[in-house]
Order: sequence, then structure tokens, then C-alpha cells
Amino acid sequence: MRTKNTALKVLYYIAIALLCVVFIYPFWWMVVNSFNDINDIFGPPTLLPRSFQWENYVEIFRVQPFARQYMNTVLVAVAGTVGNLLVSSLSGYAFARLRFPGRSALFILLLTALMMPIEVTIVPMYFMMRGMGLSDSLFPLIFIPMFCSQGAFSAFMLRQHYVTVPKEYEEAARLDGLSPMGIYFRIMLPIAVPVLSSCAILAFLSVWNMYLEPLVFISSVAKYTLPLALANFNDSYGLPQWNLQLAATTLSVIPVMIVYLIFQEKISNAMVNSGLK
Amino acid sequence: MMKKQIQKLNKGEAVTGYLFILPQMIGLMIFVIIPLVMIITYSFQNRNFLFGNLGFCGLENYRMLIDDEIFLMTLKNTLIFSLGVVPLNLVLSLALAMFLAGSAGGTSVVRGVIFLPVITSGVAWSIVFKFLLQGGPTGPINSILSIFGIEGPNWLFERGWAMFSVVVARVLKNLGMNVLIFMGAVMNLPQDVIEAGKIDGAGRMKLFSKIKLPLLMPSILMVMIVTLIGSMRVFDTIKLMTDGGPEGSTMVLVYYIYHQAFKSFSIGYASTIAVVLFVIVLILTIFQWSLRKKADYYEN
Amino acid sequence: MLKKLTAILLISAMVLSGLFAAGAKEEAAPSGPVSIKIATWTSNQSQLDLLGSFVKEFAEKEGIEIDVTFESIAFAEYNTKLSLELQGSDAPDVFWVLETSAPAFIQSGLLAELDSAMAEYDPDDFSKPAMQLWQKGGKTYAVPFSTSPFFVIYNEDLFRAAGLETPAELSAKGEWNWDAFRNSSKKIKDATGIYGYQTVDGGGYNERILHNLCPIIRSYGADVWTADGKILINSPEAVAAVQLFHDMLYKDGSVVPPGDQSDFFSGNAAMTVGQVSRVSKLSSASFAWGIAPMPAGPEGDVPVIGQAAIGAFSKGKNVEIAKKLVAYMTNEECVKRIAGIWPPARKSVLESEDFLSSNAAVKPEQMAAAVAASIKTGKVLPSHVQYPQIEVESKIVWDRLWKADADVKAVLDDVAKVYAKYIK
Repeated sequence: MRTKNTALKVLYYIAIALLCVVFIYPFWWMVVNSFNDINDIFGPPTLLPRSFQWENYVEIFRVQPFARQYMNTVLVAVAGTVGNLLVSSLSGYAFARLRFPGRSALFILLLTALMMPIEVTIVPMYFMMRGMGLSDSLFPLIFIPMFCSQGAFSAFMLRQHYVTVPKEYEEAARLDGLSPMGIYFRIMLPIAVPVLSSCAILAFLSVWNMYLEPLVFISSVAKYTLPLALANFNDSYGLPQWNLQLAATTLSVIPVMIVYLIFQEKISNAMVNSGLK
Repeated sequence: MMKKQIQKLNKGEAVTGYLFILPQMIGLMIFVIIPLVMIITYSFQNRNFLFGNLGFCGLENYRMLIDDEIFLMTLKNTLIFSLGVVPLNLVLSLALAMFLAGSAGGTSVVRGVIFLPVITSGVAWSIVFKFLLQGGPTGPINSILSIFGIEGPNWLFERGWAMFSVVVARVLKNLGMNVLIFMGAVMNLPQDVIEAGKIDGAGRMKLFSKIKLPLLMPSILMVMIVTLIGSMRVFDTIKLMTDGGPEGSTMVLVYYIYHQAFKSFSIGYASTIAVVLFVIVLILTIFQWSLRKKADYYEN
Repeated sequence: MLKKLTAILLISAMVLSGLFAAGAKEEAAPSGPVSIKIATWTSNQSQLDLLGSFVKEFAEKEGIEIDVTFESIAFAEYNTKLSLELQGSDAPDVFWVLETSAPAFIQSGLLAELDSAMAEYDPDDFSKPAMQLWQKGGKTYAVPFSTSPFFVIYNEDLFRAAGLETPAELSAKGEWNWDAFRNSSKKIKDATGIYGYQTVDGGGYNERILHNLCPIIRSYGADVWTADGKILINSPEAVAAVQLFHDMLYKDGSVVPPGDQSDFFSGNAAMTVGQVSRVSKLSSASFAWGIAPMPAGPEGDVPVIGQAAIGAFSKGKNVEIAKKLVAYMTNEECVKRIAGIWPPARKSVLESEDFLSSNAAVKPEQMAAAVAASIKTGKVLPSHVQYPQIEVESKIVWDRLWKADADVKAVLDDVAKVYAKYIK
């Protein structure tokens, strides 16, 4: 019995180790080769870089305004996430708790947006942004996560959450003389913090991942976001500069990873306890 | 007097309600509804990026669609891709969630590790995978396989393997998120019901299929829909890893729209395909909604 | 309550401000320096500096101030990005045009007509065949600044290691043909284990299919399609030509296959095909290299000529200045100075002795044999207004070729069917 247990335990740890290798290997490979000379990238994989070419990391800032592009991405991600939460928590609460004519019709409208891939509407959206003088600006990249699929998703999640909040909370507050705005800010926002934080994580990730949108809306290199910049490490003949690409990719991944590892427990718990369903 | 006050209250509530949803509704109008109306209009026009609007063309674009073998192929590919991604992702993430929720050691490490791809941008992930899946004996994955005496295929350039590769890359990228969501659901399962099941003598399999699974259904549905939508709008993986090839075998609907609009500049035709995608999504929405109603009876 | 309402209003205002931004924009009065934006696909600083110096000289000549910005768009995204920008508020005034998009751009009216602006710089100096693609109805819409043939670049060390005569030596003896090409490639692979040949920029299976196959097909006496609309891609000669490449790839295994990143410039292939602008990449090469004309077939050697032109945006704010600038940048003086990177379409420059020594890295006799001679025998790729559609659709069929057991004839028949939908 005991040996069987030990065997199971060993098996369990082997399984876990294997799983971790599958997920860590791509990152390891990326970091190792970001230090390699372009000619050393190909060939049998090694555990350590073959050439230790630190210049790759200097060069990426020379080839593109990489620091600026980094800032753009952070700016868009933060603004998009904050905007997303503001707009969707208001409407999520209203759809769950406030009665007004046309509520269910408008909610269905919202659900349409929830399911809509951005690819469906991106062409006319491009013409509209151009008409508003917003082509080649970061604004569409901030508005899209606020109002398109991701915005609707957050609103929907929050609405699902607010529906389950006991009515007594509000009634007590109303008797205390709080205005609807007061109820929203003092009661409803605080109790939704777990859902809000998971919505925030999801919204942030969706902006962080955005590729088609900047590809279409942004044309000047100084306004690129990271995904666009990463795919743009080519020499003057259009040939990829793999070593630089990998160095830039590493730089784009590692800081987020560090932030994540610091808040790992919090982020995981937010997602685990979000009650997303 | 009393009635009037209630009416006043209701009126106030309605105004507040409208005010609260106003920002979202304005955005929705500008970023979803108007563009949607526009693509429907465009789909009846012979419109081109370079040449502008060359006029109304009736159902010509729709007629072209029926004869367009590539379009039919992209429909099929989208289906294959989604059929690959959704079940694989769901089964793996549910299994992992059950496994992690039920065990003690190393859980948080594993949780952390499988979440790493989630926080990596899709572009970065696709770039790395494109390298890893290089064909020939020098490709990193193939070199590892060769240790075990397996000769790996030319992953991204062989029909079938290319689709397999993008599906796997995509599943690994998003798995972590679903595992966490499922872990939450598994940990919140009402223990008394499960205990009751155990007392009734239900075996492991029975406990899972008869008790846990039904209880998890709302979460599974939710995750399924999110994953399905995600798989239908896959863009970066395809563009960067296979560019739709080989033989168009990984050309999915959204990528075809992109090609038609931004490579061939046929906006009218691209909009027609977009309308089709919209209809598909609409049908899926209605379908999932009716499913939800059945699964989720406490909803009002 | 009020404070919070303001918050909501602010958000709405943010959205609405976008709506009004369009109306609020005012046209700037044309005083002070004229700003000119030039879009290119090169990001090479020395090339951009050269172009920048032309703009400066032009401004001095005209007695105006020009505030020039260069925008480098990645080659693979060039057409997409450029077309998007030409619709936008910040469109380039002057831009490079790819040969494959020439017919569509000319027909769309986005290119300004340049004849009057060019009049003072001897337009008849441009060779007629070089101008063909850029003129319509007797009017000129863009000026080719580069008429650059593709030729063979080889790794001399690898040829020596395999004990073979180099392509230049074979060429001098008149024995540089496709069979010799295939033989050399195979022998190098067998002797050294290194691939004998890498397609143009490694793109022979993707965006460079025609660049790769055209020289073989044409020197066998066929073509892809002709200007008068005959589709010849599945003619017996074309099938034989494509079969040759297919055999090299799969029977001999001597060509860098699809998905393999072995690169000529890092010493992992013995031959490739490129233009004179690529030669600068070899300045840091760790091996001895040489250049030779394309191998010959039954109909001689027919290299592909890659063309790139420069044009002025017809709806730009400073069209007149942009037109004059384009004409200036392609005058004899400027063309001379870029000739070493981008072989000219001006006869006066092309036929001058200076041209042969215009690129420091290339010896005059190499320049004469591989570049100057190739410009005479070469041909541009076929073009069509709907080229992008044709490219996307035929690519799907072409992909079927990259298998060991592919039936070349059957694949080319299907490619021809795709072409037939557009070419009438």
C-alpha cells in the first residue's frame, strides 16, 4: 500500500514536471536565442546561448523606437482597461438593478457586441476613424476594448454578478438616503471587486494581445504597439532579423512575467474566485 | 400620493438607468452598430480600397460567394480549427483543473507556469512557435523528437500538420486561463451534494459524470462560448505562423476577410464575407442563449 | 452626485470628442516650409540619406523650404499600409510603387500624371521597355528609379570545396545553363552537405514564387502569361522548366526546402538569386563570393527584372511640388548617384562607363556581365490590375507543388485555371 502511494506520488511529480517543461521550454528557447548571433539561432537547440551577443538588446532600440512603442502599449493597455471597467460597471449595474423601458432590448444589443469578432467590423471602423481624424492614433486602440467585444463581456459579467447581490443591500442604503450614484460607488463597486479584478485582467490581456487593430489603424512606427513592433524586425530588404526579433520578444515578455510572478497568487485567486460563468 | 411617489421613484430610476448605460451605448453605436450597418451596405456595393465605391451591384457579391471555392474552404477550415481548439482546450483544462484542485503539492507552481503563455502576447507566442516548429532535422522541436528516434514533419508546411500546429499553439496559449476559471468552479462545488453522492456509493466515474459535471455545466458553457468566439477570431497565430498556407489549409474566415480587404482591396466582397461571419456568430449566440436558459435556471 | 455625473459626462465627452475632431480640423495656410512625406520600403539609413540629399538640392533649386519626413514601411506590408495611408489624413506626398501594383495604382487615379514636370529632364532618355509598366494612354504616372535584374550570387568557397568551376567561369565559357546549375547544386550538396541553392530571399515558396520560376520558364521559351493575355504557365516548356526546379528540390535535395531557414548570406547555401542592392549584405560575409548571370535555357538567359518606381500622390496637399520633386529625383544627375544600388532606366547612365564601377563591392566586369547585360535580356514579371487577387488565389494552388510526389503538370493546369479567371 505504502509503495503504491509512493509510486503514485513519483508519477504525479513526473507528470507535473513534464507539464512545466512543455510550458517553460518555449520561453527558455526564446531567451537563449535572443543572445545568439543570427547564424547561431538555427541548429540543434542548446541550453545556453552559443554566442552571447548582448548587442542584440542594444540594436533593437536603434532599429525601431522600441522604448516609445513599449510606452504606447502600456498606455493603451492601462487606458483601455480603466475605460473598460468604468463604462461596463456602470452599465452592468444598470442592466442588473435599474428598471427602465427597453432594458432587455438594449441588453440583447449588448450581447450582439459580445459575440462580434472585430474582423467583421474593422473595415468600416477604419473609414469612420479616418473620418473622425483618428487614423494613425492610439485612440481607436483604447476605444475598442471599451466598447467592442471586451467591453460587452465585462458589462455582461458584472451584470451577472449584480443580479446575485441581495436586494437588501440597496434598500438599506436607500433608506440611509444614498442617491443611485452613491449606491453605485459606495456599495456596488466595492462588492464587485473580485469580478472587477478578473474583468480587468481579461481586458488588460485582450489589449496586450491586440494585433489586427493596430495593424489596421496605426501607420507610423513611433505609434506602433508591441505586437506590431515585434512582427516588424526586418532588414531593409524585408528579410527578418531573427535575433533582434527574439530579443525584442523577450523584452516584451519578461517584464509582464515579473509583474505576474509578483502578483501570481492574487491574479490566480482573482481568476479562480471570479465566479466567471 | 403614495402611487405618485412610486411613479416618481421609477421615473428617477429609469433616468439613472439610461444615464448609467449611456457611455456604453454611445460606444456601442459608434463601434459596433454603425459599422455593422455599413458592412451590410458595402456588401451590396462594388467597393474597392483603391478605386472607391464603383456603385451598387445588387447580389453580385453574394453570388460570387457561392462560386468561391476558397470561401467554402475557409468555412471548412474555420470549423476544423474550432473543432480542434474548443474540445481540446475544454477537456485539457477541465482535467487539469480537477487534478490541480484535488491535489496539494506544487499546485501553485503549476498554476503559475501554465498561465505564462496567457500573459504573453499572441504575436510573441506565435513568433516563438514558428521557430520551434521549423521543419527538417534542425528545427528545435524536431531535434528533440530525433532524440527519441522520431523524424518530425515539416510542421508548418505540410497539410494537416500545419492545422495541427496552429491548433496546438493556440490551445497551449489559452489553456491557463480556462484552468483557473474551472479551478474556481471545481472548488466551489457544494461539498454536501458530493458527500451525499459518496454515501450513496457512487464510484469516481459516476461521481464525476452524474454529480460534478452537471454542477459544472454553467461554467463549462461559459468557457466554451468564450473559447469558441476566440477560436473564430484567430488572426495573429495564422498570420504569423502559416499565413493561411499550405494550400490554404489554415486559411480561416477572418483571415480571408483580412486578405480580401487589405491585400486584394476588395472591400465590397470582404464585407460580404463579414456579413456571413456575422450571421454565423448570431446563430451561435442564439443557440448558446437557449442552452444557457436550460442550464442556468436561476437566471431571471 | 454632481461630481459623479461629471465623471459619466466626461466619458461620453471623450467618445463624442472624436466625432467633432473631424470637423474641428483646419487647413494650415501654406506658409513656411512645405512638408513632404515620402514612403519607401527601405529602412537603410544610407539609402534614405541619399534620397534626403536629393530633396535638399531640389528645395535649393526651387528656392523653397522643404520639411521632409521619410516613412519606411516593411516590404511585406507595403501595399496594405500604403493604400490605407493614401485613404487617411496623413498620406505620403511621394511614394515608391511596387511593380506588381503598378496597373492598379495607375488605374485608381492615386498617382499624379508627371509628364509636364518631367519635361525639363529629358524624358526620352528613359528606355522604352522600362517605362512600359508606368505609362498609360501615353501619359507617365510614375518613374522607375530601379530597373534591377536578378542574377546568381554564389559562395566561391563552397564551389572550390566541391571541386567545381564557379558559375562565372562557366558563364565565361558559355556553359552556364540550367543543367550546369542543377549539377553544381547537387554536387555541392553531396560533397559538403550544404544546400546548393536558396531561392530569392528564401521566398520562392511564398511571395517570390514567380521570381524564382520565371527565369527558368522564360528561358525554356514559355511564360507565365503574356501581355496580350495568353496563359502559358501550363505549356509543355513551362512544365519542363518547373519540373527541373522540382527535381532539384525533391530528387536531388539540393535546394533549401520550404520552411527551412538555411540562408545564403550566413553561408548555409552555395547559390542564391538577388539584385545588386543585396550585394551590400555581403560586405561582412565570411566567405569569398562572386556573381554571374542567370543560367541559360534553350532560349538563352532571361532574368527577371525587378522594377520599382516613384510617384506623386494625386490628392496630396502639395501635388505640384511633389510632382516636380519626383521628376527631379529621377533626373540624370540623381540617377547617376543611386545607380550603384538601383540600376537605372536612363540610357545615358546605363551605357556610361561610370555605371560599371558605380558599386564599390562589385567589379566592373561582374557589373557588365551580370547586371548591364541582364538588363538587356531580362523582362519584368507579368502584371495585372487584379494582381493581388491572382496572387492570393494562385498561391493556394502553387502550394500543392511543394511535395515530393506532386504532379507538376496537373498543378500548373490548375494554376492556369486560376489565371484564366482574371486574364482575358
